[in-house]
Amino acid sequence: MTGHEAVGTVASAAALPGSDDVSLLLPATLQVDLGRLPDVFGAVPRGVWAALFIVVGGVLAALLLGSLTTRLLVRLGVPEAIEGTAFERAAREFETSTVEVLGTLVRFFILGVTFLAVLSVANITVAASFWRRTVEFLPQLFFAIVILIVGVVVGDKIHLVVGERLTGVKLPQIGIFPRLAKFTVFYVAILVALSQLGVATLALVVLLAVYLFALVLLTAIALSDLLKSGAAGSYLLLNQPYSIGDEVAIGERRGIVQEVNLFVTHVENNGEEFIVPNSLVFAEGVVRIRN
Amino acid sequence: MSALSDLLGDVVSDVESVFLFSPSSSHYERFADADLDEQVVVVAPENDVDAETYVELPLEFDNIRDRIKFGVEGALERGFVEEGDVVTCSVRIFDGDPDGVVRVRVEEAMRSGIYDLFANSRADPSVIRDVFEVAIELGKKGQKGKPVGALFVVGDAGKVMNKSRPLSYNPFEKSHVHVGDPIVNVMLKEFSRLDGAFVISDSGKLVSAYRYLEPAAEGVDIPKGLGARHMAGAAITRDTNATAIVLSESDGLVRAFKSGQIILEIDPEEY
Repeated sequence: MTGHEAVGTVASAAALPGSDDVSLLLPATLQVDLGRLPDVFGAVPRGVWAALFIVVGGVLAALLLGSLTTRLLVRLGVPEAIEGTAFERAAREFETSTVEVLGTLVRFFILGVTFLAVLSVANITVAASFWRRTVEFLPQLFFAIVILIVGVVVGDKIHLVVGERLTGVKLPQIGIFPRLAKFTVFYVAILVALSQLGVATLALVVLLAVYLFALVLLTAIALSDLLKSGAAGSYLLLNQPYSIGDEVAIGERRGIVQEVNLFVTHVENNGEEFIVPNSLVFAEGVVRIRN
Repeated sequence: MSALSDLLGDVVSDVESVFLFSPSSSHYERFADADLDEQVVVVAPENDVDAETYVELPLEFDNIRDRIKFGVEGALERGFVEEGDVVTCSVRIFDGDPDGVVRVRVEEAMRSGIYDLFANSRADPSVIRDVFEVAIELGKKGQKGKPVGALFVVGDAGKVMNKSRPLSYNPFEKSHVHVGDPIVNVMLKEFSRLDGAFVISDSGKLVSAYRYLEPAAEGVDIPKGLGARHMAGAAITRDTNATAIVLSESDGLVRAFKSGQIILEIDPEEY
């Protein structure tokens, strides 16, 4: 979007809902002849000058902050980080990019604020309460859209990252985990965006709470043995009550320790290798055989 | 022009399989999608292209002959090819894209044991590779410029510890370091001035340094002229399921022993 277009659209937009004299005067001031500047300056009311300054300042700020946002995001490495996400690819198809979209959004937001400021300076009283509510609503809408975009991009990125982590596991059902992570992020983003707009989201929040509770509970149940072994294993690794080469007996299993890691202890005896969970080492105790 | 394509045609005609050495994914897909009658075998350090017939290449052999021999031996062990097959290999001789095509006949004499050393040892192949890399680097540079010897016993650490005794305090006591970490490789090089052997577990944990090995040495047959370090390394592999990797101080070669036999001898300068 070039500067001239922006000025044109805002000026005409500002003129549209206003009273008659404002809409007539604004285009006239834009085509001012420099030689007769003092006369025109005196002829035009002060409020219109202020409005004009705000328009020019607002458009400049919009362009500046828009490109600043884009540059900042590029400098932070956002384009590389979100490479390959669905949103980025969709943006590429329209020959733009996520960063550009966010920059444009910032531009439109500032232009909108400028437009409202012009209205208030020009003292337009038509539907005053409607405009007041618009002023309150606009930032919320802006943040809701930004949150939604960020949520979609982050969700896509998490999908990719989790998927990459699990590529080593050649199991068809494994595809559910990246998708689960992605839709959880989407859901939370939509929830935040909706509450930003003031929509009643209580039922959705309850649903989220139930879902997260189930997730935590199931994970805790599924991982309880691993957690126990991990806790015992960290003690075994730190204090080393027995180490590789010692002969030990853990319950029925007796042999030479071949390996101790966080979760299991390998004990080998004449070609039989017992892989004993560390939780069992704690539960049963260890006999060190000295000879 | 036809003479040129005949030249290539002679190399690739009537082959049973095509070996791609470290192919890029686009290079591999061109072969995979072409639906060739010949079997496509990928030989690479990592199976990046998800090939079905894949041979792991634990070391980037600089010598093309060694690299091809290793790939063919691996394919032979895994049953991708059999004796008498003729294969063609697409290899990278200089830097960049694959630039050579080589025709090889598979023979039983190609089983040198290198593949067996990596694939069928008790320790993880990556651990053996990491230890090899340390030994090769130590052989190239020595310790502070002087040639140095070293003995690494890899795998079956529990039994090895039971058949050895400490010469002094174990510097790796209560530490949890694994070979392959750059910092650990530096530690290993520094500690190589210590006498005795390094003991490394199946998963690559450094169990001990300063170890005096006490295996029964009778019946161990190693080439004459090798010293006590090699004898100790060979003997411990006969008594246990470990693999010994020995860097010789006198001739600078790296040798590997398994089951009391020498199975590999390489010159560090060639890698």
